[in-house]
Amino acid sequence: MYQLEVLIRNFTYLLLGAVVTLKITAISVLMGLAIGTFVGMGRLSKRKIISIPSSIYVEFLRGTPLLVQIFLIYFGLPSLGLNLEAFPAAVIALGINSGAYVAEIVRAGIQSVPKGQYEAARSLGMSHTMAMRYVILPQAFRNILPALGNEFIALLKDSSLVSVIGITELMKSGQIVISRTFASFSIYGGVALIYFAMTFTLARIVRYTEKRLAIR
Amino acid sequence: MSEILRAENIHKYFGKLHVLKGVSLSIQKGEVVVIIGPSGSGKSTFLRCINHLEEYQEGKIYFEGKLVNPKKDVNKLRTRIGMVFQHFNLFPHLKVIENLTLAPVKVLGMDEKEAIKKAENLLDRVGLLDKKDVYPAKLSGGQQQRVAIARALMMDPDIMLFDEPTSALDPELVYEVLSVMKDLASSGMTMIVVTHEMGFAKEVANRVMFMDEGKILEEAPPEEFFTSPKNERTKEFLDRILGI
Repeated sequence: MYQLEVLIRNFTYLLLGAVVTLKITAISVLMGLAIGTFVGMGRLSKRKIISIPSSIYVEFLRGTPLLVQIFLIYFGLPSLGLNLEAFPAAVIALGINSGAYVAEIVRAGIQSVPKGQYEAARSLGMSHTMAMRYVILPQAFRNILPALGNEFIALLKDSSLVSVIGITELMKSGQIVISRTFASFSIYGGVALIYFAMTFTLARIVRYTEKRLAIR
Repeated sequence: MSEILRAENIHKYFGKLHVLKGVSLSIQKGEVVVIIGPSGSGKSTFLRCINHLEEYQEGKIYFEGKLVNPKKDVNKLRTRIGMVFQHFNLFPHLKVIENLTLAPVKVLGMDEKEAIKKAENLLDRVGLLDKKDVYPAKLSGGQQQRVAIARALMMDPDIMLFDEPTSALDPELVYEVLSVMKDLASSGMTMIVVTHEMGFAKEVANRVMFMDEGKILEEAPPEEFFTSPKNERTKEFLDRILGI
């Protein structure tokens, strides 16, 4: 009973942490999308000066642990004279990391659009950039929406890792409450439920968008 | 009559495969040239070289007397050359009318309202005005190809290229596309058509060319081409395709 009481009394506090989690996720998602779109296109570029760095970016960030990347940015950059607050450091680490996964998704998405679409756009006098922007990417994004949704959900969950650099998001909020109350089971249980509520809602939103944007 | 386009000695390789072996063509304003030949003969590739969807390794293309620089002039050139594809290639995420207005608005900077009006006129011309707010997937193949023709015409091209425009259609839909193409020819449009429709070639073409193994083997007005072909390969091909 004590356990439940503690959870109820501290629930609002946990929700405040969840708001921070959502903020971090939202900003990182946008960053990841922006990076991923360019890097994903970059990997398909015929020019090696663009495609090789893009590939290195993706391989390196997918091949190293997110926790190491977070530490590198928050604890490592200051020794190079670049001090970042915890929040921007967290968002940058997550955004850069997510960018690598989004890049792979975007690359697959672009490749899923038939070649004839690009040719038709170019045959009407569109530049490469215009063809990408108005013809290829809008179709690619429709095709990859489910995969992007998974990536956003993973990102939301991975954002719990930034609790280690002292950001009071949902996970950290839970730990703070536990350090005062020792009600580990109910608080971690509550934290898990709140994460689940968020990912479930996000999945629904993705599903809904997918249906609305489906090519009729 | 004045020459609008000239291709000189075009050579194209896919890796080691030599697919175009010195193809040349000169076309006058208002002329309709039909290119026929077995599949793999290079006729589609040649057509795609004309608007630089394919690179060619040797040869020159002149448009209105000016040498085309494949590195520089391509986007501009393509606004003057309309292209219709075998598989229509309509943009599936855009409504029919948006398929038509996208390029003129974005590429030519045409006013949106003006573009819509023009698009409606063209859709009316191909008999599909009532489909303007529909997505391409809802249309039959023949309807899609007519929309694709209208989309190309939106740019007011000086010449139209047709790459087997009826090959992907059910037989009963071929007619509606051919009739739009005939109208277009009689309105004075310059056209290069790669096709297997011999009826169309006989009726509409000013000149018929026969291509095989990357070369143009014969070229003649249709009456002559179909009744007294000179080249052995042409004869063989015609015999097979016309079932004589």
